[in-house]
This record gives sequence, structure tokens and C-alpha cells, in this order.
Amino acid sequence: MKAQISSFILHPLFFTPKIMSLSFDLSTPKQKQELVKSFFYHLFVGGFCLVMVYPLLWLFSSSLKPTDEIWRTVMQLIPSSITFDNYVNGWAGFGNISFTTFYQNSLIYTVLATLITVFFSGMVAYGFSRVNFIGRKFWFACMITTLMLPVQVVIIPQYIMFSNLKWLNTLYPLLLPRFGGQAFFIFMIMQFVRGIPKELDEAAEIDGCGKVGIFFRIILPLIQPALVTCAIFSFYWTWEDFLTPLIYLNSPKLYTVSLALRSFADPSANTDWGAIFAMSALSLVPVFIIFIFFQRYLVQGISTTGLKG
Amino acid sequence: MLLDFCILSDLNIPISKRKKMSIPNKKLSRRKFLQAAAIAGGGAVLTACAPAATPAPAAPAKPAEAKPAAPAVAKAVELRIAWWGGQDRHDRTIKVIDMYMKKNPNVKIAYEFAGFADHLTKMTTQAAGNSLPDIMQQDYAWIAEWAGRGLIIPLDNLATSGVLNFKDVSEDFLKGGRIGGKLVAVNLGANSQCFSCDVDDFKKAGLELPKDNWTWEDFEKTAMTMREKAGKWGGSGISGEQIWKSLYLSLGEWAYADNGYEIGYKDDTPFVNHLKMLLRLQKANAIPNRAEDLATFDGKSVEQQPLAIGKAASDSHWSNQVVAVQKAAGDTRTIKMVPLPRPTGGKSSNYIKPSQFFSVTRDSKAPEEAAKFIDYFTNDIEANDVLFAERGVPIANKVREAMTPKLGKAQKEMFDYVARVSKDVQPIRPADPAGTADLVKNVYNPQVIDAVMFEKIKPEDAAALLRKETNALLAKNKK
Amino acid sequence: MAVIPAKTASAKLAAPAQKRNFRQSNLIGYIFIAPWLLAFFAFTLMPMLASLYFSFTDYSSLDSLDKARWVGLQNFERMFTTDTKYIKAVSATFFYVIFAIPLRLIFALGLAMLLNTGRKGMGLYRAAFYAPSIVGGSIAVAVMWRQVFGTEGLVNGFLAFFGVPARTWLGNPDTAIWTLIVLAVWQFGSPMLIFLAGLKQIPTEFYEAASIDGASGIRKFISITLPLLSPVIFFNLIMQMISGLMVFTQAFIITGGAPLDTTLFYALYIYRRAFENFQMGYASAMAWVLLLIIAFFAAIVFRSSSQWVYYETKEEG
Repeated sequence: MKAQISSFILHPLFFTPKIMSLSFDLSTPKQKQELVKSFFYHLFVGGFCLVMVYPLLWLFSSSLKPTDEIWRTVMQLIPSSITFDNYVNGWAGFGNISFTTFYQNSLIYTVLATLITVFFSGMVAYGFSRVNFIGRKFWFACMITTLMLPVQVVIIPQYIMFSNLKWLNTLYPLLLPRFGGQAFFIFMIMQFVRGIPKELDEAAEIDGCGKVGIFFRIILPLIQPALVTCAIFSFYWTWEDFLTPLIYLNSPKLYTVSLALRSFADPSANTDWGAIFAMSALSLVPVFIIFIFFQRYLVQGISTTGLKG
Repeated sequence: MLLDFCILSDLNIPISKRKKMSIPNKKLSRRKFLQAAAIAGGGAVLTACAPAATPAPAAPAKPAEAKPAAPAVAKAVELRIAWWGGQDRHDRTIKVIDMYMKKNPNVKIAYEFAGFADHLTKMTTQAAGNSLPDIMQQDYAWIAEWAGRGLIIPLDNLATSGVLNFKDVSEDFLKGGRIGGKLVAVNLGANSQCFSCDVDDFKKAGLELPKDNWTWEDFEKTAMTMREKAGKWGGSGISGEQIWKSLYLSLGEWAYADNGYEIGYKDDTPFVNHLKMLLRLQKANAIPNRAEDLATFDGKSVEQQPLAIGKAASDSHWSNQVVAVQKAAGDTRTIKMVPLPRPTGGKSSNYIKPSQFFSVTRDSKAPEEAAKFIDYFTNDIEANDVLFAERGVPIANKVREAMTPKLGKAQKEMFDYVARVSKDVQPIRPADPAGTADLVKNVYNPQVIDAVMFEKIKPEDAAALLRKETNALLAKNKK
Repeated sequence: MAVIPAKTASAKLAAPAQKRNFRQSNLIGYIFIAPWLLAFFAFTLMPMLASLYFSFTDYSSLDSLDKARWVGLQNFERMFTTDTKYIKAVSATFFYVIFAIPLRLIFALGLAMLLNTGRKGMGLYRAAFYAPSIVGGSIAVAVMWRQVFGTEGLVNGFLAFFGVPARTWLGNPDTAIWTLIVLAVWQFGSPMLIFLAGLKQIPTEFYEAASIDGASGIRKFISITLPLLSPVIFFNLIMQMISGLMVFTQAFIITGGAPLDTTLFYALYIYRRAFENFQMGYASAMAWVLLLIIAFFAAIVFRSSSQWVYYETKEEG
């Protein structure tokens, strides 16, 4: 009995009434066996979870410590006293520009970039994987090659180009390239599209659907798990990207959260580590919200794909 | 989509005003770029005949000397300024910029800031794009290279004409910003190396605080005793490239020759002895071992240093960092500063080094206005009340005097220290020649210090290797 | 694996109608990839060609472009002859890729399978497993990692239970690279999520049918999961390999290449030459050699894919 109870305590949804009502029904041996199995499952996965979320716990705990304690009790997970000063100091930002501005900028940049990237990546991926045209392999190879050149050596020519276009200090250099989709996502979606039986396309074609119709009506709904994954990645990668904003945005009023975070630390002078940890912790919140929100659609994919059989 | 547009245009408002100034030589640079691109296209295909296609070798960088323009009626001026730092520095600097704009309504200053590494990345990119800000914060380690390439311009004329007023500044403080006799950078705060000591730890170990003329031998004894009696490391931060330079400074030499073409000293022995001492101290656990140093301390922030977290009794660093050390260590501890130890028989191994500079760049359209702001930064008492010596001890006498009564505990210690040590210092040597960033990152740290401390190479061989590599790298400056 | 030679059959029946069809499909294809094509020509191609040009010059990142002097193959010569650090960077990178990437993929696939159940609470578990990946390359994670592997850190505390003596993992030349490998494996969230999305796409009927036939779990894994997931496995393998060979951030923020250059990864070395030593010409040359190295390995994996990757739709043309 002890085992079963702790299995529920370990269970993340322990408090939901639905589970409570289901849980104590141990009438048949099979259910009992199922419960034991479930217990070990949660014990293993849950235990593993702890290792995985350790950095988050550490980060949040450090962000609550008084500044002069952070380095002296750096491995101590539970702060001896709790303060929210770090959050207040950190949020105040620099000069008269607070994190409210940085969050606004980041959200605008990230949401726009993600929407653009996901849609156009899906479109291009469909073209590459479902339409047969001359030069397809060549262009695909070109696309993959663009992924292989380290960004460090293209920064400067790219900067000169955008600077000549007078696009510095605007969102154009950050957003316009996204209208081509991103090679990583295009390739990823391609792999998913290729997993969809072509008979579906053919059936739709017989029903009078063109390539465009097939893309919107058949492919897009079916690659939902892939699109959702793209959205999560794109959001996170854009959110944490500091290099592009650093190079192209000069005015601090346009800085993003990731860039602001990096403006806190100076190895050679006074650094408010408490504020860094506090703002780092806060900066994870939008990413988490997006993840929790979108990952539900990962499940839904199953029922949609299930229809095809 | 409408919303998107609003957002975009909203973000554009403050920019459009400044667009003009962010890309100075627009036409020129576009042509250059097209030219380069054409070469790139041709070069890729026709490697063989490519040399003919390369642009004619550019004339040696000869920046137009900033000329003081005739004083005109207050004309609208836009300036850009960029610096690196932490939150504290950003806050203070922004406030001073706002004060300056209030005083000079015709001047609009746009600012950009970043962390140290990001600042360098950004400035390098802007240098390549001909769009450097009017004023940029500079480090002593790069000014020779930047000045050599004509990226920052001489300010001597502006200093002579009084736009930059240095009447109240000692030449010792300015010297660091002179390259080849020309003032290319204005010191923002005076610094000197120091040993910060925890007074209580010394008491606990039954030791007196080191004297100002202590030697590395004294240091070794102190550190060993500290380990035995107080159970702490005696010191840290004594393997860096600064220590190498100071060692030879004390003996009347320097790491690099004045002309920047070769190594600056004849005898490897002092450096070999220092390395041997480091090995002895490491073995006795009287300093953090190299692995620990690299993993936790070396190059990490001041707050994480062994002294600040209470694991060492003393720590070698720059004098302005003591404020951060004291803050991290907490109010209960008392920290006193002493000069760097010297080799036995040597003179003082300290010198006054600018903590950082402001320079006016090649791309500035209004060097005189830029200089006016630097002058305000240097000489204005109100401005310095806000800046509050965060970048090091102010160089203007009356600013220092005005500030002295307002100082906190650690700052007072810093002011006193710099005043005390400047009575017995070596003159500052020419700024590090081009190529030394390469030397330190790629040779000194990994191939000399790491290799010796992990016992992969003998100190004698390491010193010889350093000599060979330094000479090889600096020889390129001869051209 | 079902290979339907439909295309070869249809190719023989080349009729005018089909020709028109083909022309039309050309048009449609280019319309679909037009966004990428435009962005490629507008924003990507020029900078890439410029860096290719730099690799044959002594261009310094501090100078404007017209100061770049053509030096022929000098940069490449330097790389392979006099620069001892280059070989170190190459071998450190390969060492990292050989261990980090397979381990990361195995973890990602294993956990994705484990989380691909109908059990409750999967959302939270997924979030937890994804957590290390989203703290990614921040300053905070660098600080934490140094502490965890520090002398008094968590790892030593844990190993003390088994009587393993404490050591400074990150600062030691023998172990430093391993801490970065562990970090890479620990951040398996992205490939895990892609695997998970791939698993979601496998129709459940296949498993149900197999269960009726009495297939074991392992059997189902080998004959259903692996082949149907192979496009995604292929994708993850290629992408992880590419990003592994270009590994930068972790070494940049945590070790900076130390100790003894054991964690001086290829991309980190490129950055150092380009932005710290201002040798953009040399850095570009290194970057293009890296591109060739990556392309070589990618080509091998792409070639091999016809042997083990199963697509519902056969590649044509």
C-alpha cells in the first residue's frame, strides 16, 4: 500500500480530483500490476526529472539570495534568507530603460519572427518535398550548405550589407531574412512531409485539388506536430539570440531581453549577480509558457494522423 | 498584419532621426562593397588571375587630424557613444549623458552599451562597416592596434586649443593614452595593480600586513604561513600576463620592447623563478591550483574571487576592483591594499595604468563636439559626483579633491592607495603592440602558464618558448 | 521496404500532356520555394561569397574591405603547417562530436519513447526534460556548470559516496572536455522534442495490428518504430552532426578553450581569430575548411540514407 500511495504523491497530478477517484480502485490483480508498473515509471522518470530541473531550482534559489550571500553559499539550494530585491533591482534595467521595454521588444521580435519562420518554412518544405521541379536537388544542397558555414565569418559582410541598405537600428535585418524560412526548419518539416503517404495527395488531386490546395488542406494539418515543434524551437532560439540584436540594434530602447541580460555582467568591475540571476530566471518564463501551451498540440497530432488509415 | 505594421513603425520612430549618422560614408562604402563582391565572384572562379583583380594596396592609414573648427552658433549636433560595463556603470553613464544634454540642448547623444566581450564584437563589426560611434570606450590592450589602423584619431589639437582641458591633469595620468607621442585616448580613471589583504586573516595567522616594498620572497613566506596558520590560500591572481610585465618593469625592463618589434627583456631568469615559485606554492596549496583557478576564478567576475568568498587572505587585482571585492565580501570584513611585491633587489613593480579610455573615432562627423563631452566627463564635478569613480580614480585634481569627503570605505581605501603608490611607481610603458592579444590568449595562458602548472613543460622551457613566440609575433609589426 | 517504381514506369510514357504537367510542376515548385530562394539571394549568398573571398586575403576585421590584400593560399598553408593550435582545435572538436552526439541522440530517443505514453502528467515531464535546453547558453548556466563541476561541487559530493576522490573536473586538462560533453548530453531537449513529434506521426494502428500478431515490444520497436521514425532519425543525425562540429557557445562561456587548449573547439578558435585577434582572413579560411569537413561527413550520411531511411514517398528525379 505504501508503494501505491507514494506513487500518487510522486504523481504530478496528485491533486486533481479525477485521479483521486480513480486511484484506489484496486479490485483486480491486473489493475494492481498496472499500478506497480506506473509507480516504477513515475519513480524513474520523476527521479530523472529532478536531475534535469536542478539548474532551474538553482537559478531561482540564487535569485532569491541577498547579493553578498550568493557566492559564499553558491551550492546551497535553500537560501538562508529570502529577498526579492534582486528582482526589483534587475527589473529597473539601465538608466531609465527598464525590463518592461526589453520584454516588449523581445516579444514583438520573437512572435513576429516565429510566425514568419514557421509559415514560410512549411511552405518551402512542401515545395522541396512534394513538388518535382528542375534544380530541386541543387537548391536543396545549397540550402543545407548555408548551415555549414560558421556564423562568425559572415557577420561582418552581412553587417556591411544591411548598413548599406540603411537598415541598422531597425527590425528589418532581424525579420526580413526570416521570410525565406530557416534551413533547419525547412529540412525538418520536409522529413515529416515525406512521412505522409502520397496516396493522400493523389486522392485529393482526383477530387480536383491543386498543389496549393493540397498544401493547405492536407499537408498543413497533418504536419501539425512538426509545425508545433518548429514554433517552440523558433520561439526559444529567437528569444535567446543576442548576436543579431547586438549587431543591428544600437539604441538600448530597442534591446531585447537576451541582450539586456548580457549587459549586466562585467568581469572587471562591479556586477550585480543577484539581478542577473533574477532576470535570467524571469526570462525563462515566456519560453516555458510557450512550451507548455504548444506541447499540448503534440498530443493532438496523434488523432489527426490517426485519421489517415 | 495591421498590428504588425504599427509595432514596426513604432520601433522605427527613434531610429529614423538617427539613420543619417549611423552610416557615415554610405556611398563610398557601398561602392567598396560592390567592388569586393565583384572580386569575390571573380576570385572564386578565377583563382589564378585573382591577384591582378585585388584592389590597389591602400595607402597607410593616415587619419585626418581633428581640427578645432571655428566656434559657431550652437548648431544641432548628434553624437553616438558606446561603452562596456555592468549595470552600475550603465546607470551612472546614462545619467551623466542626460545631464550633458540638458546643459547643451543643441547636442543629442545616442548611447549604446554592452558587456565587455559583446562591446568588442560590436565595435569590430562597426569598424568594418565604417559606422563607429563618435566616442567609444577603449581598453589599454587594444589602443595601439586601433590607433595604428587609424580607427581612433589624435586629439592633440583639441587639447592645445583647450576644448579638451587638461590643465588640471597630471601627465602621468595622460601618458597611457599617447601612441607614438599622439594623444589618441583620454584616461577615464587611474588604476594600479595591488594586493588586497583581509586584515583579520593576517592577524589570525600572526602576520603583519605586508610593507609597501615587500618582495615575492616575502609573499611566498606569507602565503605558506597563511596556509598553515589560517587554513587559507595566501593569495591568488598571480600568474596572469600583468604579473609577467610587472616583474620586468620592476627590473627596469618590460615585456615588450619599446618599438613593439620584439620581447623587451634579456634574461629569462626572473620569470623562471616566478614560475618555480608558483609551482612550490601550488604544491603547498598556498594558492589555488591551476585547475581550480581555471574552473572557478580565472577571468571570472571580481565577486567570485577567492578573497571575496573568504577562501584566500589576499588577492591581486586592479585598484578600482577593490570596491566590488569589498561589496561582495560584506561590510564585516576589512580590506587593505598594498602594492604588488617586487623581485628581490628590484624597484617598485607598480605603474599607473588607465582603467579605460574614451576615444574619438575616425567615423565621427563632429570630433570637436565629441571632445567637449569627454572634457565634461573628465573635469565636471557634478558629473563625477554621479560617476563616482566607478571607472577608477578621476584624473583631474579638483574632481578628486571635491570627491574625497564623500567616499565610502572601499573607495577611500582605493583613493588613498592610488595616491600613496603614485609616489613610487615606474613610468608607464608604451601600450601593448599589435598582436599581443593573440600572444596572451594563444600562447601565454595555454602554452606557458597552463603547461607549467600542469607540469607538461619545465619553467625554463616555457620561458624560452614565450620568448620565441613573442619575437615571432611581434616581428610582424616591422613590416 | 516498399519501393514502388511508379516514376520509372511513368517516365516511359512521356506524352505531351505529361510534359505540360512537368512544366507546370516546375512553376509550382519554384513558387513554393520562392521565399527561400529570394532570401538566399538577397541576404545569404553575398556574405558567404564575401567570406570565401576573405579566406584568400589577409583581411583584418578592423579594416574596411578595400584594405584586404590577396594572399593566395597562404591562410590555408598556415592552417596545415605552422599553426599547431589548428590541429588541436580539430581534434578537440572531433573528440567532442564522437562522444557527445551519439550519446545525446540515444538519450533523446530513449526519453522520447518513454514520454510517448498516454499516461497523465506527460506535459510536466516533457517540460522538465526540456528545461536544461532552454537555459542553454546563458551566463547563469555557465556559472552553475562551473559550480556543479567545481572542487566542492555536486559531482564531487555525489562521487564521494563511492569513494572517488574529489577533483576539479572543469579545470583539469584530462576531464574538462568531458564536462562539456556531459552538458551537451544533458541538453538533449531539442532532438527529444523532434523525436516525440516524429513518434506522434506514427499511426497507432500499426502497433495495434502488431500486438494482435503477438509481437514483443522490442520487435515492435525494430520493425515499426525505427523504420517509420527513420526520416526523423536521419534529420536529427545530420543536424546534430552539423551543430556538433560547429559547437561554440558552451566552450565560449564556460571554459574559453582552457585548460591547455583542450576545449578550444573549431568555431571558438574561428571566433578568437576573427574578433579577438582581428584576423578575419584567416578565420574565414578556417571556416571554409570546416564547411568542407562538414559537407564531407554530411554527404556520407546523405548517401547512406537510401539504405536505411524509409520514406512514405519515394524520392524522384
